[in-house]
Amino acid sequence: MHAVNAVMTIALNTLRETVRDRVLYAFLLFAFILTLAGIVLGSLSVGQNLRILIDLGLATISIFGGIIAIFVGTALVYKEIEKRTIYLIVTKPIKRWQFVLGKFLGLAICLLIVTILMGSFLVALAWYMSPDQKVNFDLVYSLPLIYLELLFITAIATFFSTFATPMMSVVFTLGAWLIGHLGQSLLALAQITESASTKLILKTAYWVMPDLAKLTLVRSDLTSGVNPGSELITYLVAYIMAYIVFLLALSTLITERREFP
Amino acid sequence: MTQAVIETVNLGKVHFSNFLRKRFQALDQLSLTIGKGETFGLLGLNGAGKTTTLKLLLGLLRPTTGEVKVLGYDAGHVKALARVGFLPEAPYFYSYLSAQEFLDFSGRLFALPEKQRKERAKELLELVGLTDAAKRPIGKFSKGMMQRLGIAQSLLNDPELIFWDEPTSGLDPIGRRDVRTILHRLKSEGKTIFFNSHLLPDVSEVCDRIGILNRGRLIYQGKVSDITAGGNYLKLEDFFLSTIQEAEANHKKGSS
Repeated sequence: MHAVNAVMTIALNTLRETVRDRVLYAFLLFAFILTLAGIVLGSLSVGQNLRILIDLGLATISIFGGIIAIFVGTALVYKEIEKRTIYLIVTKPIKRWQFVLGKFLGLAICLLIVTILMGSFLVALAWYMSPDQKVNFDLVYSLPLIYLELLFITAIATFFSTFATPMMSVVFTLGAWLIGHLGQSLLALAQITESASTKLILKTAYWVMPDLAKLTLVRSDLTSGVNPGSELITYLVAYIMAYIVFLLALSTLITERREFP
Repeated sequence: MTQAVIETVNLGKVHFSNFLRKRFQALDQLSLTIGKGETFGLLGLNGAGKTTTLKLLLGLLRPTTGEVKVLGYDAGHVKALARVGFLPEAPYFYSYLSAQEFLDFSGRLFALPEKQRKERAKELLELVGLTDAAKRPIGKFSKGMMQRLGIAQSLLNDPELIFWDEPTSGLDPIGRRDVRTILHRLKSEGKTIFFNSHLLPDVSEVCDRIGILNRGRLIYQGKVSDITAGGNYLKLEDFFLSTIQEAEANHKKGSS
C-alpha cells in the first residue's frame, strides 16, 4: 500500500510541476490553432473537408503530445539531480523504482489529459463539420493508439533522463521516435545499401525499435472505417507495452545503481 | 555508551574525476559509533569529507571500503530512512510549490495520514518562523527561509535520528539562535543528532561529542566537555585549529 502511495505522490507532484509550467499552455494553444486550421484547409478541398480536419487534428495531437513528452520527459529525472531536489526525495522512505515509476506516471497522466482535451476538441469539431452531425467514433478509437505512442516516447525520454543531459536526451529520444516511424523503410534501405556495416546498423535499428509506422497505418485504417483486425492491434499494443516496461526497468536499474554526490 | 544508532567501520570513499579517472580519497578508514540520544558534531575544513560522510550514512553514496549501519540497517534502507530526518547543505526545493505544499508532499512520502500531515506542517512552520510564508511559492524564498523550510521538513516524521548538514548556513543571528533553540529542544526529547558545522560556538553549546576530519581522515573524536571546561567555545576553536595545524604539518612531512 505504501508503494502505491509513494508512486502516486511522486506522480501527482510531477503532474503539478508540468501543469504549472506555462510552456505547456503555449504548446496547447498552438495545437488548438493548428487543429482549427484544418477547417480552413478542408474548405479548400473538394468534398474532403472532414477527412482533412481529422487527419490534421490527429497529426497535431500526435506531434504536440510527442513534443511535450520529449521536452518534459527528458528532464524528468535529470532535473531532480541537477537542481539537487533529489536529496530530499531519495532520503525519504521510498525505493528508487517508486521514484522512477512516479515520474513516468506523472507525465503519463499529464499526456492523458492533453490527449483527452485535444481529442475532445477534435471530435467536437468533426461533429460540427459532418453533414449529418454524427459523432465520429472511428476517430475516437484511434486516440488510445496515439496515447500509447506518447507513453512509448515518455518511457524512452525517462530512460535517457536517468543518465544523459536533457539536450542529449532530446536528440536520442527524437532519433528513436524517428527510427520507429521509418519502420519498413529501414529494411528497404538496408536491402539497397552496399555497405555491410550500414546494412547491419539499419537492420538492428529496425529490429530494436518498435514499428511506429505500423501503428500509424492502423490508426489511419481506423479513422477511415477500415477494420485493421484485432490481432494486429493486440500485437502492437502488447509489443509497445512490453517495450515500455522494459525501458522503465532499465531506468530503475540505472537509478538504483546511481550515486548522488 | 548506550545502544549504537550509527556505526561505521573503516568506512572509505574514493571519488574519480570523470575524464582522467583521477583518484580522490574523500574519506578514509572512518570508524565511528554514535549512541542513542547523543549529539555529535563533525568538524573540518572545506573538503575534509564531512558531507561525504553524511551522504554515505544516508545511502546517497556507496562506500568504496568498510561498512556502515544506521539504526541497525544498511545505509539508505527504507526502514532506516523512515526514522531519519535529513537537512542537506543549502537545500533546494521545487520552486513551484509553496512551503505548505512541500511539507504535505514530504509527509505523503513518509505515509503520514492527512490529519497528522496538516497538524505537523502547521506546527513545524510555526517552529521555524514560516507561518506567514506558508502559502508563498518557494521560488520566492530567501536563502534563510529555504534553510528554515529545510529544517522543518527534516523534522516532519518526528525522527529518532537527525542528520543536519550546516544547519545554520545562510541564517542571520536570529535564525542561528532559533536553530540552537530547536537543537536543545530535540536533544531534550532524546533524539540522536549528527551534524556538520563550521560554527564552533554552536557546536560547543550543543554537542556532547565531536569528531574532527582532515583530508578524509578522522584525526580526533572525544567529548566536548573535555575540551571546553567551563563552556568556553574559544577553547574549542583553539583546540580545533591546533589539531588541524598539527595534522597538516604531519601531512606535509609525510609527503615531502
